[in-house]
Amino acid sequence: MIMAITDFSIVRRSLRSRLFSTCVTALTVGVAVALMLVLLSMRDAGRQAFQRGSGNMHLLVSRDSSPMVSILNGIYYANAPRAPIPWEKYEQLAGSFPLEFAIPTQLGDSYRGFPVLATDGEFFSAFEPNVGEPWVFASGRPFDTVFEVVVGSTAARESGLGVGSELFLTHGIAQSRQLGQADAMTPHEHREFVYKVVGVLEATGSAHDRALFTDLTSSWIIHAHDRRKLDDPSIRTTSVDDLIDADMLITGIYMRVATRPGMQVTASLQTVFDQLRRDTSVVVAQPVQQINALFAIVSNIDQVFIAMAAVVMISSAISIMLALYNSLEQRRRQIAVLRVLGCSRPRVFGLLVTEATVIGILGAGLGVLLAVAGAFGAASALKQAIGLVVTPAFGLELTLAVVTGAILLAAAAGVVPAVMAYRSSVADHLKPLG
Amino acid sequence: MALEINGLRFRYSGGGASPTSPWIIEIGSLRVARGEQLLLTGGSGTGKSTLLHLISGVVDLAPPNVGRIEVAGRDIQSLRGPARDAYRAKHIGMVFQTFNLLHGFSALENVMAALLFSDVPSREHRDRAAGLLASLGIERIDAAPDRLSVGQQQRVAVARALACSPALVLADEPTASLDPENSAAAMSLIQNACRERNAALLCVSHDPAMVERFSRRERLDDLRGTHGMRAA
Repeated sequence: MIMAITDFSIVRRSLRSRLFSTCVTALTVGVAVALMLVLLSMRDAGRQAFQRGSGNMHLLVSRDSSPMVSILNGIYYANAPRAPIPWEKYEQLAGSFPLEFAIPTQLGDSYRGFPVLATDGEFFSAFEPNVGEPWVFASGRPFDTVFEVVVGSTAARESGLGVGSELFLTHGIAQSRQLGQADAMTPHEHREFVYKVVGVLEATGSAHDRALFTDLTSSWIIHAHDRRKLDDPSIRTTSVDDLIDADMLITGIYMRVATRPGMQVTASLQTVFDQLRRDTSVVVAQPVQQINALFAIVSNIDQVFIAMAAVVMISSAISIMLALYNSLEQRRRQIAVLRVLGCSRPRVFGLLVTEATVIGILGAGLGVLLAVAGAFGAASALKQAIGLVVTPAFGLELTLAVVTGAILLAAAAGVVPAVMAYRSSVADHLKPLG
Repeated sequence: MALEINGLRFRYSGGGASPTSPWIIEIGSLRVARGEQLLLTGGSGTGKSTLLHLISGVVDLAPPNVGRIEVAGRDIQSLRGPARDAYRAKHIGMVFQTFNLLHGFSALENVMAALLFSDVPSREHRDRAAGLLASLGIERIDAAPDRLSVGQQQRVAVARALACSPALVLADEPTASLDPENSAAAMSLIQNACRERNAALLCVSHDPAMVERFSRRERLDDLRGTHGMRAA
């Protein structure tokens, strides 16, 4: 039971009397706010996500077509590299420079779409996925013998793998199967070799979270087995003793140049980088440099998107203005009556601006909800498409800035109809209709 | 005195009006005492409604127009902006031909809306509006005006006009959209309500049936150059 009519009651009734128009206009504002919030938060989250993953490595060596492709494949698991590096080359490079670590990696197999990185024990002991944040095991331990596998946090959660699970790997991106699933075997499964999960990692916020890790020797063995079966289909198994030099291939090397304790960079990094660049048989990339280059490209697109979002926001303000302007034509009599009852011109102005502001507030609230849903949808799509693990974060300052901007813009959109209402002739609109 | 007009001359400026155009309204002197009821008649276009707008202050008496219009002892045209609006809210009630009830508001809320702009404390609004509606025979106070009969809508409009206990009620052709039976009932309602609250009533109409209801009557044309108050 209301005890008195207030200015806000008048605003509320006015909005409710044209509910459809109010909802559509608020939705327009909501979409604009959501678009702006998603773009801004995804930009920041994306930058942070890209900066994760390369961790404490200084250089990534591969035989990809370019340093950028090398980074996308080697750190973000975008694709399996096509050109391998022979083991002798790895040994030559690892022994030629003052390195803190030179971790060999091989990509090419997968499990249910999750990439499998074959590497050595230093990957867990020396390499840190984020600077100053070494690997942490949620359960289990690193692999220490053949056919053992460690699972990234996302891969474990989504695949249901845990310590003790057994699985087969698959060439390329074809789906491999967990043991016990009786459905059809895919053509490229390495069904002769059963892997056992010995560890599950804590989340790192990087693309590594959706990968599985195993030792290089296992990977060489299963591929050597394929080679040997081509020559002799009757063979049953392959061991490390059957490996030849041609089997011992890798696709990348994570390198860190020796630094003084506590230092992340060293003057010799550039020297090592330059020397490696002279070796035309490999491609060398500095992750930091490539990520910055990638963002220099992406940020231009970013700015276009943000400009588009701003345009959508301005369009939504115009739609508020039009909605109020159209309603004004029908409300001039009501405004005239309010004026006769004693409502001053500034108060009429205030009522119209408040209406616009309320639409802005409703829209901004809706926008925040849409943004949260949209950002997590976009993050999921990015993860599926390019393996980039983005955790959208709506900082309070960013959200407040966008929401406040939208509300102020909405209020400003109310000024034109408010001025028209302010100047509206009372006498003209009190005349009987018809 | 509820209303006192002296030396009023008014014509619209702009819109092709020339400085030599005749005055639409010309009143030498007109007084209406508190509780008094006056019927002002005249043909269409003689400026009856314009006079009410000047008295209520919704139309400015700007030069070259001249005159003094006092409502409840104060020259309303000397007040500017929100001060004039507040003064109108407190001292003047208006009843219109088409009622002009607020769409989307209940009968009770229509009356409370008038109190919003007054200096009546908000905690008293509901009781005051409900009491007024009850005294005018409206029981369905929460009904939307379009759910009420024409006669009931007229009562709500009268209640709204009287909500702030004004010194002066201005009625602009209040029965023009009613049939003769409802017209008589509506006028009785307005006149009785004003009488009970000691509010002066200035009613403009060109309805001949209204003449008998008012002991004091003036033709707007006759007020040109009039001097002094006419006896009731």
